[in-house]
Amino acid sequence: MNMSVRFKIMIVLLPSLLVGYVYTPLQPGITMKAAVLHEHNTPLEIEEVQVSKPGPREVLVRPVAAGVCHSDLHFLDGSYPHMLPTILGHESAGIVEEVGSDVTYVSKGDHVITCLSAFCGHCDKCLTGHLALCQSPEVSREADQEPRLHQNSQPIHQFLNLSSFAELMLIHEHALVKIREDMPMDRAALIGCSTTTGVGAVFHTAKVEPGSKVAVIGCGGVGLAAINGAAIAGAGQIIAVDMVDSKLEIAKALGATHTVNASSGNAVGEVIEMTKGGCDYTFEAIGMKTTAEQSFQMLGSGGTATVIGMIPVGTMVELHGVDFLAEKKIQGSNMGSNRFRIDMPRFIEFYLSGKLHLDEMISKHIKLEEVNDALEALKSGQEARHVIMFDS
Amino acid sequence: MSRLEIRSEVTGNVWKIEVSVGDHVDAEDVLLILESMKMEIPVEVPSGGTLTEFLVAEGDAVEEDQVVAIIEVDT
Ligand SMILES: [Zn+2]
Ligand SMILES: [Zn+2]
Repeated sequence: MNMSVRFKIMIVLLPSLLVGYVYTPLQPGITMKAAVLHEHNTPLEIEEVQVSKPGPREVLVRPVAAGVCHSDLHFLDGSYPHMLPTILGHESAGIVEEVGSDVTYVSKGDHVITCLSAFCGHCDKCLTGHLALCQSPEVSREADQEPRLHQNSQPIHQFLNLSSFAELMLIHEHALVKIREDMPMDRAALIGCSTTTGVGAVFHTAKVEPGSKVAVIGCGGVGLAAINGAAIAGAGQIIAVDMVDSKLEIAKALGATHTVNASSGNAVGEVIEMTKGGCDYTFEAIGMKTTAEQSFQMLGSGGTATVIGMIPVGTMVELHGVDFLAEKKIQGSNMGSNRFRIDMPRFIEFYLSGKLHLDEMISKHIKLEEVNDALEALKSGQEARHVIMFDS
Repeated sequence: MSRLEIRSEVTGNVWKIEVSVGDHVDAEDVLLILESMKMEIPVEVPSGGTLTEFLVAEGDAVEEDQVVAIIEVDT
C-alpha cells in the first residue's frame, strides 16, 4: 500500500473512530462527596462522584480547606461560560493521598497548596518565565482519555484543572506546591488564589515601586490582598476604594493609608485630590467596565492601571484616547502573573512573620454542605471569605 | 433555509468536537469545547439547524470572533 492510499484511509477512518467513541470508565475509581453544579444559577448539589486513578504525572490530594472565591460566582451564574456539570472551587490546601508512577516532587502525606496555574514547563510562555500564561493542554487529560471525574459513567468537567469543592482532587503534579507543615491549612488555602492574585498583581504584574501612590478599587479577598501586597512592597500612599465601610476598615488594618467610600459617586475625583494629581499604580479588583475605566482615570501621567477583576465575556472597556499622550498604561493580570512554586512558600513566610494578613480575610469556617450559603454571602458583598473545612 | 456562521467568543484551543457534519443540532447544543485560560469553554449554537461545515479541528487554535462552523438554520 503506498503512502497516499494509507493516508486517505486514515482520513476516512479517523472521524468515524472519533464519532464512534463511547466513554466507558476504565477503572471503578474512588467514590467521594462533592458539590456539583448541574445548571447555571441553581444551587450546588452534594452528590457522590467518582475519581479516576492517578495517571503517571497526576496527584490525588485530600483537601483540608477550600476557600469560596468570588470567581466561583462568575461560573455559577454563567457570565463566564464553562462546560457543565462541573465541580467549582479553586482555592485549596490539602494533603497528598496518592501519587502517579512518574511523580517525584511530592509523596503521600505532604502538605500542599493547589493552584489553577498548572504549567507544562516547556512551552514558550513557561520558558520565558510567564508560567501563569501557559496554555499547554497536557496538564489536563486528553479528550479521548477517561475523565478525571465522572458520575454514573458520565464525565464531570473538572473546573480550572482543580475542582476543590470535593473530598478528593485529582490534579496534574504541576498544579500544586509543597508547603511547610506548620502553616495552618485554612490560611494556606487562601494563598491558593486570592493572595496570589492580589499580591502577585502588585509584585509581578505592576512591579510597584517603594514610595509610590497606589489605589485599589474593590476590597474583596483579592483587593485586600493587593492592598497588603502594596504595603509589603513599600508603597507610600495606599488608597482603598469600596462601597462597604466594614471592608474599608479591614483595608486599613491591612495597610491602606486612605479610604474612599465610592457610594459618594466621585471616587475618581477624590483619589486624584488625595494623590495631588493621580496614582502611579491602580488595581481594579471587581471585574466591571466602569471600575476598569475608573482605574485608568485615577492615574497620574506615566501611571499604570492593572485590571485583575474578571470582566464578563463580551464587555468592552472605553478609554479616553488623549490620556495615552500622558503615557498612561492599562494591563491585565491573571493569577498575579505567578510562579506559584516560588511565590506561595514566600507568602507563607510573610504570613508567619506577620507581614501578610490572612486571619482577617476569613469570616467563617463552614462544612461542604453549607457551600451554597457561602456563595450567597459572597453575592451580597458584605462579608469576607468563607472557608470550607473538610472532615478528616 | 438560511446559513448561520457560528463564532467563538474567545481565543483558545479546540479541545473536543462534540458533533459531526450532517448532524441536527438544537439551540444551546454544544458544538465544540475550547480550552482557554484553563477553562473548558463551550461553543453553543444559538438556534436549531443542521451542521453543514466545520472550519476547525481538534487541537486547532481559534481566535476571538473566528467562524468555527456553519449551520443551515431550521425553517
Ligand atoms: Zn479565586
Ligand atoms: Zn507551558
